[in-house]
Amino acid sequence: MFRNQYDTDVTTWSPTGRLFQVEYAMEAVKQGSAAIGLRSRSHVVLACVNKAQSELSSHQKKIFKVDDHIGVAIAGLTADGRVLSRYMRSEAINHSFTYESPLPVGRLVVHLADKAQVCTQRSWKRPYGVGLLVGGLDESGAHLYYNCPSGNYFEYQAFAIGSRSQAAKTYLERRFESFGDSSREDLIKDAILAVRETLQGETLKSSLCTVSVLGVGEPFHFLDQETIQKVIDTFEKVAEDEEVEAGDGEAAVAPAEEGGDGGAGAGDQDVAPMEM
Amino acid sequence: MTFTIPIDNGDAVKNAEADSQRTLYPYVTGTSIVAIKYKDGVLMASDMGGSYGSTLRYKNIERMKAIGKHSLLGASGEISDFQEILRYLDELVLNDNMWDDGNSLGPKEVHNYLTRVMYNRRNKFNPLWNTLVLGGVKNGETYLGMVSMIGVSFEDNHVATGFGNHLARPILRDEWHADLSFEDGVKLLEKCMRVLLYRDRSAINKLQIAKITEEGVTVSQPYSLKTFWEFKAFHNPTAGAEGSW
Repeated sequence: MFRNQYDTDVTTWSPTGRLFQVEYAMEAVKQGSAAIGLRSRSHVVLACVNKAQSELSSHQKKIFKVDDHIGVAIAGLTADGRVLSRYMRSEAINHSFTYESPLPVGRLVVHLADKAQVCTQRSWKRPYGVGLLVGGLDESGAHLYYNCPSGNYFEYQAFAIGSRSQAAKTYLERRFESFGDSSREDLIKDAILAVRETLQGETLKSSLCTVSVLGVGEPFHFLDQETIQKVIDTFEKVAEDEEVEAGDGEAAVAPAEEGGDGGAGAGDQDVAPMEM
Repeated sequence: MTFTIPIDNGDAVKNAEADSQRTLYPYVTGTSIVAIKYKDGVLMASDMGGSYGSTLRYKNIERMKAIGKHSLLGASGEISDFQEILRYLDELVLNDNMWDDGNSLGPKEVHNYLTRVMYNRRNKFNPLWNTLVLGGVKNGETYLGMVSMIGVSFEDNHVATGFGNHLARPILRDEWHADLSFEDGVKLLEKCMRVLLYRDRSAINKLQIAKITEEGVTVSQPYSLKTFWEFKAFHNPTAGAEGSW
């Protein structure tokens, strides 16, 4: 996108009917590190890549609990994301207090979208530079929504936002039809595999990603590093064995779940040690 | 979600003119409501009287109304405040319906909303002078609760307001049990209402029974109970204490 004479104010239309400031805000979302969400009928999994400013610092928090039954993953200006998460928590808790009942996630995203829209129609404001993947429950089950800086929101079976999210989206597009009936464990595995796609070559470690789950009868919570690593182990080891066996010149074999005995013989020194 | 509170001209405690805007005493009042959970939902009974002090002024007041798809509200106390509450709930249900998203307010949500309203008004020294009974069924779960004018709120298997607390609840404590049939439930309520008719001077012999189940609300046509006044105790009531009544 190039600069032009209609992009200074959010309240200035271009002759082709575009609001460039809003589009620039959506660019900010694309620059943030990836966030992924997928849902089955009863569960929603949100996962993100942990990006740290430097090796010395800790990584930024990109997934927030809004309520026991709603979580949100963000990409873009994390400060804007934090502020919107606080707003969402406030809406959820106010509803809970007045009605002693969880706020249906579909209603929350509409409030959020309306809030974002205001910033696209006031000359003294700017759009929020953050995209939100909101996962939550309501009377009809689990839902996943994407809220955009433009004030639009869409419902998804699975989605990815942020940098290199296209790789994750391609992976999800191949598999999404089965997500509805997926078990909780399969959903988590698919989420982590989607995260791996965005890393594009970098080895997937549990320290590189954050995964959260919520579902019917399961309040929102983060998975700990151990659990994530165990899931990674189930498919990394498979990939490992295939690589090693191919190296031995053997034909493609059926992937083995537990430590590949045939592979161990090759003894590849450059690979991270796996627990048996 | 916000709700509108009537505008007053300031703090009713400190500002004298504000007094003219707040409830000081009730004027037209309804007497007891009695309600029980039964097999398919909730049964609620009330008479149709509106008393103006000691005068039985109005005899066709419906004190039970359906709220949304899943709830039934009964009120005793100031009738105009009950009508005000119905206006609030109307707005609440309207906004809920406008979402058109498959989610709807159940009896628990309505009960809690009313608790908030009643308690907030009490805190401003401008109460809605009612005791409300909220019953309903949603997704197979039966709910029955009560809110008083000072915001005291609770749920139970059977509730009653006003005199009903003293005359009907003891009967219900003895004779209520889970999974009452519709006929047994109505018989039980009629027994309570008959006692109230004999002993509560603001009760009239014209009552309605409302039922709410998963299918919805039905309010019966008004009817009256058979009464018997030839009990020995009624014959010479002052027999033990001449001069009393």
